[in-house]
Amino acid sequence: MGIQLKNRFEDVGREMGSSGRMKLAMLTKMSSVQAGSLEDTAANLKLVDDAIAQLRKGM
Amino acid sequence: MKISSKLIGLSLGSVVVVAGLAVTLVGELKSVSTGYNNLLQGSVRQAEAARMTQVDFKKQVQEWKDILLRGHDADDLAKYTGQFHEQEAKVKTEARALAGSVEDPLTRQLLNEFLVADDKLSANYQTAYSAYVKGKFDFKAADKIVRGQDRPPTDLFDKVVEQLNTRVTTMVAAQEAAAIEVRNTALILAGALLMLVSLIGFIVVRGVLTRLGRLKAVSDRLAKADIDGLSIDISGNDEVGEFGQSMKGVAAAIEELLSVAA
Repeated sequence: MGIQLKNRFEDVGREMGSSGRMKLAMLTKMSSVQAGSLEDTAANLKLVDDAIAQLRKGM
Repeated sequence: MKISSKLIGLSLGSVVVVAGLAVTLVGELKSVSTGYNNLLQGSVRQAEAARMTQVDFKKQVQEWKDILLRGHDADDLAKYTGQFHEQEAKVKTEARALAGSVEDPLTRQLLNEFLVADDKLSANYQTAYSAYVKGKFDFKAADKIVRGQDRPPTDLFDKVVEQLNTRVTTMVAAQEAAAIEVRNTALILAGALLMLVSLIGFIVVRGVLTRLGRLKAVSDRLAKADIDGLSIDISGNDEVGEFGQSMKGVAAAIEELLSVAA
């Protein structure tokens, strides 16, 4: 299951707070709950990583 | 494909098809018009020429009668003899020209028979004329030589005129049929085109409206914060698909917010 994906949401939460998690969900079109149910595929991880990079740029 | 592209494509496609239809119909109309022109310049003109020759032949016969009736006067004899020969030459020239121009073999054959009969009649007129002058204007003796002999060429030429008139009638009917066919083709093509454009337009609009309806249902649930089990399955590369993806992001954000708050 998407353990790595879910961990990334938690990392963003620690780094940027609730609003960061919300923005990540908005950019990736998935909530952390949905992320946890998905596979940690390279494509999914890239999608989340790209969104995190975008969030960091906007900070 | 974007909705705007689909609509532009539909409009352009309609314009192209309508233009193609217009070009085709103009071509067909030109063909019908050419047919009428050929008819007017060919058969109608020949029929008119035949009627004129028919009248000229009757005038020639009338001139002969004028010679017999009034030829006892020298001036009248010269006058009516001149007019007779003038009509005689005119009839032969016109009949030969007509025989050379008609396409119908039967009409040509009738004209050739007329020319032979007319030559024979001319020879007999000449014999009768000589008898008339030598017999001191005895019109009865002269008339006896040619009496009733104008009937066979007259009958032959009546047949020529009838044959040409029949041909004109047939060709006019054919042209009318062609014009009706063009009109029917135009109506069928225009109707089919209208149906095609309407069908494509209906499919495009129905597809957009169906997906917009699904999007509205998602929006209604989001407005009520009813996101449990909310699935946004609106795909596509058009504006509606892009809007669906945005809604998916909004729904995910709300769900994340609720999970953080929980």
